[in-house]
Amino acid sequence: MPLKPRQRDIPKIPGAVRFYKISAYVTGVMLLLLIFEMLFKYTPLQLEMQLGGQGGFLVPVDSTTGFNLSTAILIAHGWLYVVYLFADFRLWSLMRWPFSRFFLIALGGVVPLLSFFVESHMTKLATRQYDALTAETTPTTEGAPA
Amino acid sequence: MTQTAQRPVLLGVDGDPLPETMWQVARRPRWIALLGLALVVAAIFAWLGHWQIERSVESVQVVNPETETTKVLSSVATPQTPFADSLGAQRVSVTGEFDPDDFAVVGDRVNGGETGYWLIGRFVDDANGASLPVGLGWSATREGAEAAEPSVAATSTVTVEGRYFPSESPTESDFENGAQTVVSVAALINEWPGFDGQVYGGYVVADDAPRSLDAIDSAPPASDVQFNWLNVFYAIEWVVFAGFAVFLWFRLVRDAFEREHEEAEEARAEADARGATQPTRAS
Repeated sequence: MPLKPRQRDIPKIPGAVRFYKISAYVTGVMLLLLIFEMLFKYTPLQLEMQLGGQGGFLVPVDSTTGFNLSTAILIAHGWLYVVYLFADFRLWSLMRWPFSRFFLIALGGVVPLLSFFVESHMTKLATRQYDALTAETTPTTEGAPA
Repeated sequence: MTQTAQRPVLLGVDGDPLPETMWQVARRPRWIALLGLALVVAAIFAWLGHWQIERSVESVQVVNPETETTKVLSSVATPQTPFADSLGAQRVSVTGEFDPDDFAVVGDRVNGGETGYWLIGRFVDDANGASLPVGLGWSATREGAEAAEPSVAATSTVTVEGRYFPSESPTESDFENGAQTVVSVAALINEWPGFDGQVYGGYVVADDAPRSLDAIDSAPPASDVQFNWLNVFYAIEWVVFAGFAVFLWFRLVRDAFEREHEEAEEARAEADARGATQPTRAS
């Protein structure tokens, strides 16, 4: 029998869902950027992206003169995934979901495009569960003196 | 009597006594096995982090010796092309002549902590006829830097050894003040009356200065930055992931412990409810 979220955690759920939603979109977009970059860098094209250097936006690998956008994307993607994993953990532990769901969300940040599908599914699930919980508890909270 | 003794022994839904602490749950074979799994995952992550650190060190070693080996400039750089990152502070030698008319003095240059002036000459590479700005030496005064011009102009074919640096970007305030404080190839071209043709994308700081000037400080490059940092960041991330794997195991044990207590409580509440309704039905 799955556990329900704790009473005191219920008000935190909408914030956790929003945090997860935003980081899922950011990670999803970064992952697509990363693939775009890999296509340029590790195929015979051998090109890197740069900002503000000589020779334009795309230049051969290791010949960047400006801000190396390719390396920046790699570093930013790595740390944004850490943020995504934290958002995943927060949502999963507040909702007290089974571990498989944590794993699926984490996987969503690694497999291209998967994050978008997982995100819409999980957000729907969490929102539905949250609505059910607040419907249960509303009478008592409304009955309390203001 | 202590409270512990008074507390009734709680029974789980399966009839076994409930664990009193989560460590009793953690000691069950299932959770010890899962801890083993979490540690294996953490070890793999730590190994990946170690691998990234090794890679970051490797990429430094590959880049550094190259810059410390003196190379003929025309063999590593092509005139009229952008300056390649990998050539930063490369030791080069170049043979040719200084143009006797095309000198420039650039201010605001720090040498040994003191601000002064660089004398810059237009050097014509014999290999391809391309022009190359060469930082000849440093002087505390503008006059001092200018005074060294004739001795350099009098030389014929020479070989200059030094380090090759990328052209600096001109600043707007320099342009407005009419004073030059950066070594910009694009700005120098405009100041060389005799210039006509090709130019390198960087400039060379000469090792040896004319007698009246000080040699310009030029250090070997600090380790190659970008690739190094990427791998270091990845290594830190793997360490974070490794810690996370073990932390997740801890959370799952705690969840299992709480689940057993909550299930037992619910079962008892149900039993209580049944117990409360049965007598009323009987009466």
